[in-house]
Amino acid sequence: MRIGVFICHCGSNIAGTVDCPKVAAKALTYPDVVFSTDTMYACSEPGQDGIIAAVKEQQLDGVVVASCTPRMHEQTFRRAVERAGLNRYMFEMANIREHVSWIGKIMEDNTIKAQELVRMAVEKLRRNRPLIPKRFETVKRVLVIGGGVAGIQAALDCADGGQEVVLIEREQSIGGKMAKLDKTFPTVDCSSCVLGPKMVDIAQHPKITLYACAEVESVGGYVGNFHITIRRKATYVDWNVCNGCGLCLEKCPSHKHPDPFNENLCTAPSINIPFPQAIPKKAAINPQSCLKLTQGKCGICATVCPLKCIDYEQKDELVDVDVGAVIVATGYDLFDWHKYPQYGQGRYPDIITSMQYERLLSASGPTGGQIKRPSDGKEPKNIVFIQCVGSRDRSVDRPYCSGFCCMYTAKQAILTKDHLPDSQSFVFYMDIRSPGKLYDEFTRRAMEEYGAHYVRGRVSMIYPQDDKLLVRGADTLAGTQVEVQADLVVLAVGAEAAAGAAQLGEKLRVCPDQYGFFVESHPKLKPVETNTAGVYLAGACQGPKDIPASVSQGSAAAAKVLGLLSKKELESDPAVARVNQPRCVGCGKCIQTCPFGAIKEVADRFGNPKAEVIDTVCQGCGICTVTCPQGAIQLEHFTDNQILAEVQALCPPKIFANYE
Amino acid sequence: MSPLDDLKTAIKSRLGELDCVIGWEQGYDQLHATPLFIRSEADLDRLVIGPLAVHNLATYLPGLRGKKVGIIVKGCDSRSVIQLLNENLITRDDLVVFGLCCSGVVSHRKIRAALPVDPGFVEAVDLSTDTLSITASGQTTILHMADIAADKCQICQYPNALIADVLVGSPQESKVLTTLACQEEFEAKSEAEKFAFWQETMSRCIRCYACRNACPMCVCRDFCISTSRDPLWLGQENTPGENMMFQLIHVSHLTGRCTECGECERACPVDIPLLLLRRYMNKQVQDVFEHRAGTALEQTPPLLTFKVEEEGIKERGW
Ligand SMILES: Cc1cc2nc3c(=O)[nH]c(=O)nc-3n(C[C@H](O)[C@H](O)[C@H](O)COP(=O)(O)OP(=O)(O)OC[C@H]3O[C@@H](n4cnc5c(N)ncnc54)[C@H](O)[C@@H]3O)c2cc1C
Ligand code: SF4
Ligand code: SF4
Ligand code: SF4
Ligand code: SF4
Repeated sequence: MRIGVFICHCGSNIAGTVDCPKVAAKALTYPDVVFSTDTMYACSEPGQDGIIAAVKEQQLDGVVVASCTPRMHEQTFRRAVERAGLNRYMFEMANIREHVSWIGKIMEDNTIKAQELVRMAVEKLRRNRPLIPKRFETVKRVLVIGGGVAGIQAALDCADGGQEVVLIEREQSIGGKMAKLDKTFPTVDCSSCVLGPKMVDIAQHPKITLYACAEVESVGGYVGNFHITIRRKATYVDWNVCNGCGLCLEKCPSHKHPDPFNENLCTAPSINIPFPQAIPKKAAINPQSCLKLTQGKCGICATVCPLKCIDYEQKDELVDVDVGAVIVATGYDLFDWHKYPQYGQGRYPDIITSMQYERLLSASGPTGGQIKRPSDGKEPKNIVFIQCVGSRDRSVDRPYCSGFCCMYTAKQAILTKDHLPDSQSFVFYMDIRSPGKLYDEFTRRAMEEYGAHYVRGRVSMIYPQDDKLLVRGADTLAGTQVEVQADLVVLAVGAEAAAGAAQLGEKLRVCPDQYGFFVESHPKLKPVETNTAGVYLAGACQGPKDIPASVSQGSAAAAKVLGLLSKKELESDPAVARVNQPRCVGCGKCIQTCPFGAIKEVADRFGNPKAEVIDTVCQGCGICTVTCPQGAIQLEHFTDNQILAEVQALCPPKIFANYE
Repeated sequence: MSPLDDLKTAIKSRLGELDCVIGWEQGYDQLHATPLFIRSEADLDRLVIGPLAVHNLATYLPGLRGKKVGIIVKGCDSRSVIQLLNENLITRDDLVVFGLCCSGVVSHRKIRAALPVDPGFVEAVDLSTDTLSITASGQTTILHMADIAADKCQICQYPNALIADVLVGSPQESKVLTTLACQEEFEAKSEAEKFAFWQETMSRCIRCYACRNACPMCVCRDFCISTSRDPLWLGQENTPGENMMFQLIHVSHLTGRCTECGECERACPVDIPLLLLRRYMNKQVQDVFEHRAGTALEQTPPLLTFKVEEEGIKERGW
């Protein structure tokens, strides 16, 4: 084999602390290396041309580039060697920037480490072989999971881009958290007025099929060809007929169960349409509280419904769809503040969450937009907002910032003053985080124009005094204790991963991070992709995000999908697992561990069971290869021998030990 | 009727439907048993059981796949059978298990050590409940069972076969003791002492692979990774490092699968205390995954599953 080695300076990024010419000279002594040089910027046009020229002049069969991380430029160099006429897998990259020059300061040591990494790459390349990807067609349809603002935006953009869209929403209506909000920062425009038209577009778009009260049951297949089974939960109402007239709601005698859309501030009938602008505007029965379903008596809704669409016998229904790509937009949930002892753990009705407060502010909320405190319905005068409840706090496993609470608290303080001009708001905060267009101006306005009193410090306890709540906390700027007599306390609860995200992630093979939010493929360069090809992220499911960011990500994910599906055919990555059938004893251990269901059992011509990898499903994770005791299943491009060769290059065996 | 007679009667009634039944018979002398493949009623006369029937016969089962086989198992052996079934390496329908209630087997290594001279050929053996008298070269020595019982029997938690179509004998109690002094002593060593210990011990290994061949869970046989050229995991030179590497591969392939039957150590011709590694590894598996191989049908060894998160591993330790 004839190998060429290229050591990149990356300007001074690498050359600053690595002696690149020396690394190049050393490489010439490695087996099979016939050409070696250092170059200023290997990725630049002259750099790539240099590689191509060397391949041709020196008749190279393989190339090693020592430069930055493969995440950055592996594709670039693979394409370059391909242009030079080589198979793109006859290329190896040694990372001497992130792994060497950026982390070590001593030139001599760095140079040695760089040499060793190059040596490893050469040893691996010596065992590489050309790999050829397969091509396959894609299904021109997209699944969007979650109908919050991010999912809505993604669905509309995909549909406008000409793709068929299936949107599924777990709740009875799309809209997500935004549908519950009163006004939105930083413009204080009405949430339902901006979201409502988009929701209507979803219902009317000829290319969008919406399933509400639905969840993903199972996922099979792979990028371009996913097979999705959707569970449509029984609503006990025939949605093909129901026109949302709402007669049944009025007559339902069992109307005393908490209303989740209104954050349990009021009650709702057992057959309900969550809010007037709901999409789809269809009634559904709550099987937990319906008298007919729990006790077998009543049936009033069936008699009053003019269209006769009530069906107490309805069952869950499974729907299969094939799609080419999936966008996950399942949003977030709110931190359960009862974990904190200092906020009374639910003993005091006038301590509420920020989302409950949004409902109190909303004209379509339980109080018709009048701020009344839950205990006695009185208008509060002093209102205390406490920020960072379940954010930036290691003690409750939530060390991260939820991002939008500073902003919505400022918004709520402004709206409070609008609603109750005589009121006084107090805000306990840790820091004000308001980066974003017009955001800092907005929080300043809350303080300066609306007179919200901001106190930097934490609240240590709240206890009742007469019909008020005494809030005691620290003012860390003044270095004093403060006490406020509050009529109402609003907790700015932080965001956490949506309920069921882990289970959904497992079905889609998308990893949750340590807090349960889905992990993007690269935090900077691939923020909407996931590590599973064909699955994209939008909105707060990837991490706390406000509406503008969620909408942008919805559009970004749609752009990715449109790009993907615009190709007639896709190439599958040939770095997949492969079974050496004679070695395989058919124990099925690999089948058990493969997280992607990419291995099936087949019979050889003697009828013995053997494992076989489905190329297009395999993600090349390598779990099977470490499971198989006899090494019968190997990952192409990362075979045991290739990895062992790298290890041996680093720690050469002391072969003489025995003969000394 | 004695348990042996019960066993013979049971085997007789099932023999017709089976290709063979695996048991033990006397070997080259009275002290040593050897596996017996019973194909006819005549063979049955040679069957023996008891403290000298040391072998774990489950080792034969994967190789006899496709045949209808009967097997006699002690408590510990039955765990191997269960583990093989759980891993789909043998078929339940093709198997008839004759279970014993076992009161322990001897350790030939301990016997050898207890005798004044290497016995060579043993002329006579007399077994009672707690003694074993051995006559060799005209000299008789009486050994106490307690002194020569196999290590595994001193801490045996499963003396009665856990899986059996026919169970003979009267059930035995499991032992109170759960750890062995030799194990504790080994684990108390410092890293450096352990290293020196293995350095010395592994220099004795002759890479005969008897340990692997005796292991009921080592089913790769001709495709064992330690003798393969592609992938080439292990060089063939006989150094302590490579020998230890072989044991580490063995141990890691047996993670959550090893039933601690002790066959590997029994088979080793140079007395390497291989179970020190196995017991240690099994303890980790028990601690982290609450899994003990071969103790229940339908359980899966933890390393043969994929879970996004393991209950026993704290991955969010910030
Ligand atoms: C009190 C409060 C006030 C706020 N005010 C503002 C504001 O003024 N301005 C602003 O920019 N931001 C505000 N935010 C933030 C805003 O709520 C989020 O930015 C936005 O809702 C994120 O949208 P999303 O679509 O990503 O998630 P969500 O709104 O959470 O939508 C996710 C949707 O997916 C559905 N879903 C979840 N799991 C599944 C599943 N497994 N299958 C199917 N469907 C599923 C859910 O039912 C939901 O409908 C506020 C947040 C709070 C808590
Ligand atoms: S684990 Fe190995 S031997 Fe077992 S089925 Fe898979 S490839 Fe074959
Ligand atoms: S490498 Fe193996 S375990 Fe991973 S996806 Fe492919 S077949 Fe499955
Ligand atoms: S490793 Fe040893 S103790 Fe464990 S199952 Fe195999 S032979 Fe028995
Ligand atoms: S039986 Fe003993 S000598 Fe033989 S390979 Fe195993 S450890 Fe080495």
